[in-house]
Amino acid sequence: MESIVYKILSSKRNKFLVILMVILSMIGAVYMIPTKLILARMLPGKSANTFTVYVDTKTNASIKETKSVTSCIVNNLKLEKEITDMEVFLGQGAPLDYAGLVKGSGLKSLKNQAEIVINLTDKHHRDEPSFVMVHRLRSIINKACGALVENSSIRFTEMPAGPPTLATIVVELYGKNDVVLRKTALKIADLLKETEGLVDIDIMQDDIYTKYDLVPDKEKIIRSGLNVEQVNNIVFLAFKGMPIAYKNTRNQQDQIPIFLRLDDATRLVKIASKTAFLDKLLSLNLMNDKGMMIPISEIVTIEAVESSPTIFRKNLKNMVTITAECDMVSQVYPLLEARAKMMDLFSEEYTVTKVPGITTYMFDLDIVDKESGAEMLVRWDGEMKVSLDTFRDLGGAFIAALVLMFLLMVLYYKSFALSGIVLIGSFLSIIGVIVGHWVTDKIQLYATDTHFFLTATSLIGFISLMGISARSSLLLIDFSKSLLEEGMEKKRAIAIATATRAKPIMLTAVAIILGSLLLATDPIFGGLGVALIFGSMAATLVSLFFIPVLMDNARALMPPECYGKSIHMDPETKMTWCVLTDNIKSYFPYTKKEKCDEAKVAYEERLKRKEEEEEKRISELKLAKKKKKEKKSDKK
Amino acid sequence: MEIYKIKNIAGHLAKGFLNNPLTPVIAVALLLLGYLSLEVMPREEDPQIEVSGGSIIVAIPGATPQEIANVVIKPLERRIREIKGVENVYGTAMNNVGMINVQYYIGEDREASNLKLYDKVMQNMDQLPAGTMMPMVKPFDIDIDIPILTVAFYKLADRENNTNTFYRTIREIQQNINALDNVSKTTLKGVKRPQFNVLIDLHKLSAYHISLGQVANAVKSISTNAPEIDNITSTGKLIVFSVKNAIDDVDDLNELIIAQYMGSPIYLKNIAKVDYNYDIQNHKSASLTYRLDTNASEEVGGSEILFRDAGDQVTMTVAKLKGTNAVHIAESVIAELQKEKASLTAQGMGFIVTRNYGIRANEAVNELVHHLLITIFIIALILIPFLGWRESMVVTIAVPMILAATLFIALMTDQTINRITLFAFLLSLGLIVDDAIVVIENIHRRLHLECSKDQDFDEIIIQATDEIGPATNIATIAIMLTMIPMAFVGGMMGQFMKPIPLNVPVALGISLFVAYVFAPYLARKFIKFEKQAPESKEEV
Repeated sequence: MESIVYKILSSKRNKFLVILMVILSMIGAVYMIPTKLILARMLPGKSANTFTVYVDTKTNASIKETKSVTSCIVNNLKLEKEITDMEVFLGQGAPLDYAGLVKGSGLKSLKNQAEIVINLTDKHHRDEPSFVMVHRLRSIINKACGALVENSSIRFTEMPAGPPTLATIVVELYGKNDVVLRKTALKIADLLKETEGLVDIDIMQDDIYTKYDLVPDKEKIIRSGLNVEQVNNIVFLAFKGMPIAYKNTRNQQDQIPIFLRLDDATRLVKIASKTAFLDKLLSLNLMNDKGMMIPISEIVTIEAVESSPTIFRKNLKNMVTITAECDMVSQVYPLLEARAKMMDLFSEEYTVTKVPGITTYMFDLDIVDKESGAEMLVRWDGEMKVSLDTFRDLGGAFIAALVLMFLLMVLYYKSFALSGIVLIGSFLSIIGVIVGHWVTDKIQLYATDTHFFLTATSLIGFISLMGISARSSLLLIDFSKSLLEEGMEKKRAIAIATATRAKPIMLTAVAIILGSLLLATDPIFGGLGVALIFGSMAATLVSLFFIPVLMDNARALMPPECYGKSIHMDPETKMTWCVLTDNIKSYFPYTKKEKCDEAKVAYEERLKRKEEEEEKRISELKLAKKKKKEKKSDKK
Repeated sequence: MEIYKIKNIAGHLAKGFLNNPLTPVIAVALLLLGYLSLEVMPREEDPQIEVSGGSIIVAIPGATPQEIANVVIKPLERRIREIKGVENVYGTAMNNVGMINVQYYIGEDREASNLKLYDKVMQNMDQLPAGTMMPMVKPFDIDIDIPILTVAFYKLADRENNTNTFYRTIREIQQNINALDNVSKTTLKGVKRPQFNVLIDLHKLSAYHISLGQVANAVKSISTNAPEIDNITSTGKLIVFSVKNAIDDVDDLNELIIAQYMGSPIYLKNIAKVDYNYDIQNHKSASLTYRLDTNASEEVGGSEILFRDAGDQVTMTVAKLKGTNAVHIAESVIAELQKEKASLTAQGMGFIVTRNYGIRANEAVNELVHHLLITIFIIALILIPFLGWRESMVVTIAVPMILAATLFIALMTDQTINRITLFAFLLSLGLIVDDAIVVIENIHRRLHLECSKDQDFDEIIIQATDEIGPATNIATIAIMLTMIPMAFVGGMMGQFMKPIPLNVPVALGISLFVAYVFAPYLARKFIKFEKQAPESKEEV
């Protein structure tokens, strides 16, 4: 080890080669990210024992229609071996979970909404992870049940590995003109449907359907001695029904309502049309204040109108949300693809411009409808936004960590150069992190046909790696320094220090690698495990070969003959004046030369004294031993 | 001989505790505390994310979405925006109802946020348009709203079961479960409430010349509940009497006279079908399909899977109080259900636990603890060829001590054990062994050096520890520094991974302490200092 390092240090060519190799591999590694050799993603999929299917049918669907979809899904899922039970919740959300909390599951109460909870056998005894299963089932179920009721969307929701979001990809379309908004939203949804890797596309807006308005004829109502409120109440009571009285009971926790409504035979309208409805109203009578019976059909007229859809607003602006899920792929690439397509295809009808500025909303687009001049904003939210926010914050944390570490090192070494070496050393572990992900991705792709993503946990791994590799460099520099203090030649000192510290450096690296092995098999923390394993390998190589080269080049690390030595060397004479930071020192190279020379003389003297003492002591010891031996032999 | 001057705190610590009789006591106490913490600490699968927010629901009967948006949503939205800490305001205007969902920034104090929201709505009550019903303010509450356990009750096959008794039995069970410790909110989903249904035949109604309003009034007038009346008799005794509710069962309703037609009374039964059943107007329902025991199907010899559609079911959800142990609560709820099982079966009812976060939390925690132990073992094994088994044993003992102390501190700071906490431990494992390894390695190295052959064993240990002190201190502080900024990551993700910046630096700090205090102590106890070895070599 010692000789290898020494060899590298003693030849300029070798040193240059090492530096060149490091720089090349650094560039190569970083280049892997834009070339998509490594795919980035917020959080990977997590195998769970349960998933939920959300069903939304057309806005005016009856509970029966919704039920036909859920029954279809349940019947199709009955072929699955790994399902233990399924619970259908019609017209309401399933019991809340983390995902449901954000996806508004608790607010569901409409007839066109349903959720199905599907429980699977334990993941440890199951070969197929839940996300692969969902991936497989998604197309089967959508093909079988998607067309039963028009405009229905069937979405598969898995337990999120991290914090939940409304959907993986959320497009928020803001605008003032509701009509244009509606049209554009449909266009965007179509575009997302065509984008590869995106599934479960859903527009959060009501369909427009025909509904019937009963228009009261005011004159007739007043003349016949009735009032409009009466009409409202009776129509409601007859067709919808309501509890008109309550009764308390002894043996139950609820009051018992008395519910009044027409029976099914007379209540149900045969077909949805104006005349059929008028027929029904013909036999429904109202009693006026004189006790006369008046059919409702006499005092109202029926109009078929378009329903008015629900208005959604966010932060005081009208908005339509389009959501999409990613099917086993990272959300980054489909998003960018969809955005590029949007800018391309929309240019006929809209003027599309990018929203300037770098924020975590940096993918936003401004679009203006050419026909009506309505301005709209396309905002990309969802997991992408959370990822960007997190990566931004983690990046900030990372930079803060770098700065803090650098300051700490400067405080310790009183040298910018040495601190820089430590930092560079720890930063280079990124080569290992990226290459490690690439290797793992290839292995995993080969073994299980799924990608291994660079995730937020990988980033956390990288941040903690910085500290670990800093430790190796620190120990190296420390040992070289103390060897230099003992008067050793610089290159030799570095080589010896490297050789001595190689063992603990490798030991700690081995400890981390082994400690992370189990972590690497975890679906969520796999990124961290891989980052730690390959990162510490890289860090070890860097600290054993690259750091010595840098140290050799650093002027701050100098043998004590000259102005370089610091407090550590001489606590007795407190020779701190020699220590300026090396940058400044290079400007005033000889200012304190004399004192340094004095120090050198003093140092050499002390060294001599020490040697003499050593010799003395050893000879004394030898004497003592001899005496002991003599005693022993005497005894024998 | 020159007396070694200790330069670093590492040396001081090592020296102070090397011969201290308290050292092993502290070590054992730490391990015990750690074990206790592991058992006592509340377990969860995911860490708690403090999400504050709520929804305001305002109803105006008969208003269209546009009207709602203009008169309710827009003014209210503006008011809500006045609240500090609100991240997003979502408005939804539907027919008859307007809803505003307020989302606070993650990490805002929940209680204060709820209060602010309620306060804002109440302040602006006077500005709501006429005809508005009382607005409802419903805050989100993750702890209470996310159930840790759900149970589906269903009717057993080929058993007729009255919907009402089915429901009543479940209600009783719900009451029992709510009485268990630390159970907070229980709800029932898919319930059918008992109800008298009066279904009127429209044709008969018009035949008898009765209006719907008449029927309604007749029923309303007869079913009133009156409080008890107390009076005194002339002798001064108390006498209590009350007017009984005239409607007690279906027959009372059937015999209700609605009107007179051609001189004869018309009873409710003449024009309507009355029954005591469940709420037919409720469109919410829940159903269950479950797999029959695989054993049965295997006997048949087929690999086909048999499912049974159990039809309607009622799902009971059980939530826990904040900071309590999901595992224990789930266990006690299931124990309670098992107690009832016999009587349920007798009534023709069965149940399936459809969600159990308790088991999941326990599994997740146990799995990670298992991983921790395996990892420690592997590290110990790998150290043996490099350092020797005694030295490796020192490291192996030091690691659980560090983890134990970290766990104890986590318990003291009101954290829970969850996936992320344990993940933080796994992450720190690779980091915390380092300090111990570095110290032990240096002691090991010094012991085998020529120059230390005539030094005192204690002195070598102290010197070895002291020697690597400064570098180790700085390196550990550097790692702590890299971890701490992670605490400032915002949003859900920041909350989610908060246990990492909370626990890893603590573990690192403790690892320093352990490396300086216990590692030298253990080294002194375990490692045999073979003074003879280098000497004999010299003689040869």
